[in-house]
Amino acid sequence: MLQVQNLTRRFGENLAVDDVSFTIPSGKMTGFVGANGAGKTTTMRMIMGVLTAHGGEVLMDGKPITASDRSTFGYMPEERGLYPKQPILDQLVYLGQLHRMTPSDARAQAQDLLDRFQLGGRGKDKLESLSLGNQQRVQIAASLLHRPTVLILDEPFSGLDPVAVDSMVELLRDRTAQGVPVLFSSHQLDLVDRLCDNLVVLQQGRLVASGSGEELRASAPRRHRLTVTPDAGWVREEAGVRVIDVAGQDAVVEIDNDDTAQRLLATAMTRGSVHEFSRIRPSLSEIYREVSQ
Amino acid sequence: MSTETRVKDRDGSAPSSQDARPRSTGTQPPWLIVTLREVMIKVRDRSYAISTLVTLVLIVGGVVFNAFMMNRGDDFSVAVQSDSATAVVQLADEAGQANDGNVTFTAVEADSDDAAVELVRAEEADAALLQGSDGAWQLTGKTEIDSGITQLVGEALNAFVLESNAAAVGTTAEQLLSGAELEQILLEGSAENQLLATIAGFVFSFLFYMASIIFGMAIANSVVEEKQNRVVEILATAIPIRQLLYGKVLGNTILAMVQLALYGGAALLALNLTDTADLVGSIIPASGWFLVFFLFGFLILAAIWAVLGSLASRPEDLNNNSTPVMALIFGALFVGLFASGQFLVIASYIPVVSSVAMPIRVLNSPVALWEPLLSLVIALAAAVALLHLGEKIYRRAVMQGGGALSLRKAMKLEQ
Repeated sequence: MLQVQNLTRRFGENLAVDDVSFTIPSGKMTGFVGANGAGKTTTMRMIMGVLTAHGGEVLMDGKPITASDRSTFGYMPEERGLYPKQPILDQLVYLGQLHRMTPSDARAQAQDLLDRFQLGGRGKDKLESLSLGNQQRVQIAASLLHRPTVLILDEPFSGLDPVAVDSMVELLRDRTAQGVPVLFSSHQLDLVDRLCDNLVVLQQGRLVASGSGEELRASAPRRHRLTVTPDAGWVREEAGVRVIDVAGQDAVVEIDNDDTAQRLLATAMTRGSVHEFSRIRPSLSEIYREVSQ
Repeated sequence: MSTETRVKDRDGSAPSSQDARPRSTGTQPPWLIVTLREVMIKVRDRSYAISTLVTLVLIVGGVVFNAFMMNRGDDFSVAVQSDSATAVVQLADEAGQANDGNVTFTAVEADSDDAAVELVRAEEADAALLQGSDGAWQLTGKTEIDSGITQLVGEALNAFVLESNAAAVGTTAEQLLSGAELEQILLEGSAENQLLATIAGFVFSFLFYMASIIFGMAIANSVVEEKQNRVVEILATAIPIRQLLYGKVLGNTILAMVQLALYGGAALLALNLTDTADLVGSIIPASGWFLVFFLFGFLILAAIWAVLGSLASRPEDLNNNSTPVMALIFGALFVGLFASGQFLVIASYIPVVSSVAMPIRVLNSPVALWEPLLSLVIALAAAVALLHLGEKIYRRAVMQGGGALSLRKAMKLEQ
């Protein structure tokens, strides 16, 4: 488990990351979302130690992380980059060796990852001869090669086609199944919904929400959908009910507690027939949209 | 690493092979891995291999060509019409073959002056040596007269005329010239060594100049490539950035040294095989010093080049910010080519410049052993200090995105 505690970073006058704390649980995928410039990349770079934090620290199982801890992490920087003029297998082996793998182990592992991305036959090709999407796959392989104990991935899915996204998801699930904590940033909310157990939301350098899906849903406003005949317009007059949307027979309402819900249902039944009365489970992306408004 | 992050697989089996991390066992230190990569990339680079081969061929070819030109004999034929002219050509022939020379002169006798000139016109003789009715001598050529002819025939004519004029007044040329011998004495070294020292100094200076730029640029480019592609962020999380710098410096230093030794060895071997220089033996100790001094000088330059690479944001920026180091390299080149006397002595203690200046001094004149050793210690101290300083700037600058940095800006950066 990785804990980010009170991380702060300024660039001149600009407070890029302001006292941000959250947890990346082991074996879980944590989505890191926020608008451009919210401070996601800066936070990730501080976690990886390539940028000095002006305040706060990062803990691994309660202890401040060290450079040798970080050398076991897998990191995918925001700006992609490997060696354009070097054959891809060679540079993966090189990176593996720098991560303390033996050359033969690094070669086997790199070949395995390239195979999983349908790049098995292109190990001798120079990186620059690959399409951008394929270069991205090599970049992913570079971050996973040394069997990292933590994964910090900045926009790992950008530029990938659906097939590559599926391979990537499969690889990440392999890692989380082994207890590796994964933090990845993304603007693709459908992926966040599909993959994440956890969500961390930044807005202008500040943390606006973080936690597991259940926790976030529990703290989200409680909404119900109500479908009645002949007409749902009467809900506007009900006490304790905030109307989000009413259109003919349908209404979406926000309710503060269960008693109000029961009372609303009872009233609805006296006014006509009730076709639907259900709790709306917000998706993580809806929660994100909600908190970052 | 903690154990908590490594939970068992979901099926409850023991941690898979994924966790059997082969760490530290049988792996090399990071700087060595970086060094090996720098070397392998260069060695596998086809254009590098080709340029090295071409240079080798040029060096060996140059030496062989030079030897050929020096050994090649010239055979001149000179048309003559009188006995005295024949005697002059004979004297020239003797002079041409004195001192291991292999220039020969053959006198081609013509019936008349006009016939002699015709022989030249028909290119059957290289020149015609004729004496006019007033006793004045003329050397006639077709479009030009080879300088070998003018010099040797001129000298022979001088000797001939001196001899015959001396005889006319009842004495000999020897008597006339007695007491005019000028003996040359050098306080240090010998005349042949001096020439060799000049040539070797020239070669050292240019080798240093070339290798410093070629391999220095390679370091700077390698640094800026990683910075531009942001690979350095991944590298920095894997290994201490210091090891990355040292690996690069070491790798390129090895490449430069091997290349220098290769070129130098090829040149010495070719010189030996062609018997061009009997004095090759005296170059070898100086060449040895040169290699050692080059090593220390290059380490200093390597630290500077690495910093320049980290300050740049694209390879193009290097053209603008490499002026100071280029000035230093030019300085060493000019000292090697032109410096002498006290100036050379001072230069032989200035790091980087000493890489060229001290070997030249060793070659020129006897130098006490402590002098090159002291100079090496100074260069080593400078190398250590600059690598240390370079590392500080490199660590800060190499992580910075955006445009090129100035040194002042880089010093103020926090990592």
